[in-house]
Amino acid sequence: MGTRPARDAGPVMEGECAIIRYTLTSAFGRGLVANRAGLVSGRSALSPHTLADGTPCMVGPVAGLKDVVMPAALARYDCRNNRLAQWALDADGFTQAVAAAVRALGAEGVGVVIGTSTSGIAATEAAYRTPAFKELGALPADFPYRETHNVFSCADFVRRYLNLKGPALVVSTACSSSAKAFATAARLIVSGVCRAVVVGGVDSLCDTTLYGFHALNLLSRAHPKPFGADRDGIAIGEAAGFALMGPADLFGGSCRLHFAAAGDSADAYHMTAPHPEARGACAAIGAALKGAGWQPGAVDYVHLHGTGTTHNDAAEDLALVSMGLGAVPASSTKGAIGHTLGAAGVCGVVFTAEAMAAGFLPGTANTRSPDPRFRSHLLLLGRPGPIHRALVNTFGFGGSNCCLALEWRL
Amino acid sequence: MSVYIAGWGILGPGLADTRVARAILAGEKAYRDDGVRVPRAEGLSANEARRCPMSARYALDVGWQAVRAAGWDPKKAATVLSSASGDLEIADKNCRALAQPPIALSPTVFHNSVHNAAGGYWGIATGSLAPTTSLSAYDDSFAAGLLEALTTVAPDQPCLLIAYDLPPPAALAAVRKITAPFAVALALTADRPPGACARLSWRWGRCNPVTDACMAESALEGLRVGNPAARSLPLLRALSARQPEVFWWGDADEGALHVALTFEERGSTDRHHAP
Repeated sequence: MGTRPARDAGPVMEGECAIIRYTLTSAFGRGLVANRAGLVSGRSALSPHTLADGTPCMVGPVAGLKDVVMPAALARYDCRNNRLAQWALDADGFTQAVAAAVRALGAEGVGVVIGTSTSGIAATEAAYRTPAFKELGALPADFPYRETHNVFSCADFVRRYLNLKGPALVVSTACSSSAKAFATAARLIVSGVCRAVVVGGVDSLCDTTLYGFHALNLLSRAHPKPFGADRDGIAIGEAAGFALMGPADLFGGSCRLHFAAAGDSADAYHMTAPHPEARGACAAIGAALKGAGWQPGAVDYVHLHGTGTTHNDAAEDLALVSMGLGAVPASSTKGAIGHTLGAAGVCGVVFTAEAMAAGFLPGTANTRSPDPRFRSHLLLLGRPGPIHRALVNTFGFGGSNCCLALEWRL
Repeated sequence: MSVYIAGWGILGPGLADTRVARAILAGEKAYRDDGVRVPRAEGLSANEARRCPMSARYALDVGWQAVRAAGWDPKKAATVLSSASGDLEIADKNCRALAQPPIALSPTVFHNSVHNAAGGYWGIATGSLAPTTSLSAYDDSFAAGLLEALTTVAPDQPCLLIAYDLPPPAALAAVRKITAPFAVALALTADRPPGACARLSWRWGRCNPVTDACMAESALEGLRVGNPAARSLPLLRALSARQPEVFWWGDADEGALHVALTFEERGSTDRHHAP
């Protein structure tokens, strides 16, 4: 059994916060088989894209979303983000597992916490380009703002799609959104508000983020190389991942994956640039270690935020070394599926869980030579190896940092 | 666990600060919508203040009011920022830029478009590294934020809840009805503040049918239903009048946050939390 968290460790998570089921749909494909195969292969699933001004970049789209048929009763929720959510929920028997949890615990006992950054804003982007908008200067009253663009839309959709009646909310803290969704879900369980929570992260490709990151000069022109000597920025991907968090014995038997703790912090420095001494990242990692009751030496693997931008990677390397994690094997999956923004946290959780289950330390797709100034232990190539305790890092705009501690119990 | 309200802040039409609002909400002074005070972006450098969007200014303004009233060091408080619709002026600017070739987004407008922009500016303004989260539950965002804040509060972990919403620009006015700007902040702590104080006990439960607490004064009731953050007004009225009351904030599907507000007098420290 794992170490129990220290009592004075702030927002402590323990006990019934097992991760009972999970699923992921990303540029690697739909469901766990495709994503585990992609992770182990070390290949990249990114594809080339050209922006309107001719600038080349890479993107990580999910195939098949055009063919998703949404339930008639939820037709107003139809947008790329909610299609992606439904497409992912119906993989790996996840929807059925939630239904079984509802039968066991009651719909009132199961909450929904989803992380997203841009929700369904692509619907509003498209509406602004229509002749009707240009004529009226406004969206028509029947435009489904609430069900698409609004940031809560995805949790609302997931709650209705799964027929849940527990509390529902969206956490939206840019690139740390779905990591923080795990922290919120754990608080709902530890406080007794929920018996189980459907936690997720859903972010879909949209022009706001593509052209926004382009305006910040943060898009890689070729291919993102996280922690690489020649890194030049990010590729934007899209993904939806979900986890059912709750009592380990919900479906009988043993559930090995446990949410040990979350550590979160603010940089209090700048809206987009990380603190040069990585003080916020260090505070988040330190809080996660403290909450889990782990010494740095007990950590077997770190799933890096590892975006591939000059400053973010340098700050993360510094944070790892400062927190005594410089020797711990670490890798980034953003060269493989891109930066999925609000879904980055759940991607990190699922990839780490799959690595734990497979006894495999993942590599860093597409990075050939690590930045020689970095002192952390970047895994370029994946290799067999056990992971019992892992950290998942996410760092977002607004200086929002979140580090999750996951434990694989034997 | 009991949670205490150590201070609060408010900004809305005719509700310039807690002093003004307390007199109105306690029924000592008539409510008059005489416009909204311009919120202050306290703590930001001139450059940051220039970039800071109006939604974040509302958040900063009420947040500072609440931590001052509580006598807190803002660096020690976790923050929960709750907004139903975020900053729709910013979304409108981005969507207009994306619809107009050649496409060129403003880097500042883009980074201000994240739902946690206000939380980011709060961190910059206060220097606080404390945990911060930003959330939405559409029209139920105040109660969702309060629930998140109540589960975040722990001994030695105070939490500042800030809820805000602003009316949309003209292009989105038909699809999102928010009639007036409103922001509220509650300084919540498990450690009993000295002197007389307000105490919350709470649970999540069922509520069928949902009957929201209303405001007797029609203009204030209009504000309550016209802005998701102003769903807090009945609680603020009871706080102002020092009137014990039980509140239910129902959600779209019969769930509800139940909160009982009581008052403790100076010196009754028997309910001080166990160490």
